[in-house]
Amino acid sequence: MTVETHFGLTPAEWEALALSVRVAVWCVVTVAAPGILCGWVLSRRDFPGKTLLDGLVHVPLVLPPIVTGYLLLLLLGPRGPLGSWLDSVFGLRVAFTWLGAVAASAVVSFPLMVRSVRLAMDLVDPRLEEASTILGAGPWRRFRTVTLPLTLPGVLTGLILTFARSLGEFGATITLAGNIAGETRTMPLAVFNLVETPGAEGSALRLVLISVVVSLLSLIASEILSRRLRRRLGGGRDA
Amino acid sequence: MIAAGAVLALALGSLCCGGSDGREAVSVFSASSTIDALGEAAAMFEAERGVEVRCSFASSSVLARQIDEGADPDIFLSANPKWMDFLQEKGLILAGSRRDLLANRLVLAAPAGEAGRIEFTPEFPFADALAGRLALGDPDHVPAGIYAREALEHYRWYEGVADRLAPAMSVRAALRLIEIGAADLGIVYATDAAASDRVETVGIFPEESHSPILYPVAFHREPGPAALAFMEFLTSPKAVEIFARHGFASPPDPESGKP
Repeated sequence: MTVETHFGLTPAEWEALALSVRVAVWCVVTVAAPGILCGWVLSRRDFPGKTLLDGLVHVPLVLPPIVTGYLLLLLLGPRGPLGSWLDSVFGLRVAFTWLGAVAASAVVSFPLMVRSVRLAMDLVDPRLEEASTILGAGPWRRFRTVTLPLTLPGVLTGLILTFARSLGEFGATITLAGNIAGETRTMPLAVFNLVETPGAEGSALRLVLISVVVSLLSLIASEILSRRLRRRLGGGRDA
Repeated sequence: MIAAGAVLALALGSLCCGGSDGREAVSVFSASSTIDALGEAAAMFEAERGVEVRCSFASSSVLARQIDEGADPDIFLSANPKWMDFLQEKGLILAGSRRDLLANRLVLAAPAGEAGRIEFTPEFPFADALAGRLALGDPDHVPAGIYAREALEHYRWYEGVADRLAPAMSVRAALRLIEIGAADLGIVYATDAAASDRVETVGIFPEESHSPILYPVAFHREPGPAALAFMEFLTSPKAVEIFARHGFASPPDPESGKP
């Protein structure tokens, strides 16, 4: 493995790292559109049951992740209503597969995404949206050309939080997806295994350091990205 | 306001009284698989002797690491010898007091009402008998999972099911997977199967199929009279009866585990 010599990682460490990044990227992809939609609904719409929806969205933030994972297992497990349906209709198995790791991360990080988007949308000057309507833009065009660009920093923050939360997700993942090497053993689960093994403190620490470096790199990358974005947004406004 | 004050007082109170040393209390760190049995034994001891027993239940690994980091219980009861060795090597238990208190058995369990027939022989087509997943403690570190892999390898069944394992973070988590049918079969301790009426024991793994499952106990520090009395109580007929009712066996050799 060339990677092993490049970064000095053992195959098991590389496997966990690669899986973590893959799961986190898919988690971001899964959460993006529903998160933006849900944030928009909560910010712009009034309807009966809005408080209930708001509460439901935030439940994973309050529940211990192990409980979230357990509820997901009841729902998505081989005998769960959604799990058996997905299996019979699409041949998709979520429990104990990497898809389960994505599902667990997605549910746990969803409120972070929604909150960021909602806050950003609350801050958009409604007169800008009204102006676009007066100028003849339909709701979809208004959303696409006014609301979304102006909330882009918030959306980006939400996506970064989602990515970071997914990288660190442990409880829901191990409960729904198990701890299977190469399939669902992400970095936090690999660290857990090492901590549970007598005398493996050194390897655990190594993995923790790698996790910290990966998180720092992704945060720095996002900071650079969001600065550029702000400059572009600001520039657009000045012109 | 009064409620907040009461909560604060409670919180502070528990802080101050945590380390009182003029005690008639015994503190015990014990593996989570003993939670029902040891809890009952402790309650009986408290009622009989008027001595408080403070139990902290967690996985043996967590408890051993806590003791290594300075936690100071009187007694440590570990679900496997490895974590007791870990502390013994660091000089954190009174080695002379170490003995095997309990023994356990490994069983194959299925959701209630779904137990098929299993023969514990290498010829038995175990992989075919398993429709979905096999739940077990993570064989990388959960003791029950390590024994389970030994047993599966003993019958040369492991290869056939290696890609259909559902490794859980603890043996009780594996039990839960069987209970809700997320796994069609699972390997847990006899005590776990006895604790749940939602699983059915398909068969008990013969003793020769895995290393003996022993629960060593030892004093972490020089015991006071209360701790000595509780340790003695743990081997009394009354306590043995409680442990047996929860599915524990006595170690084959009462002297085993002694240095």
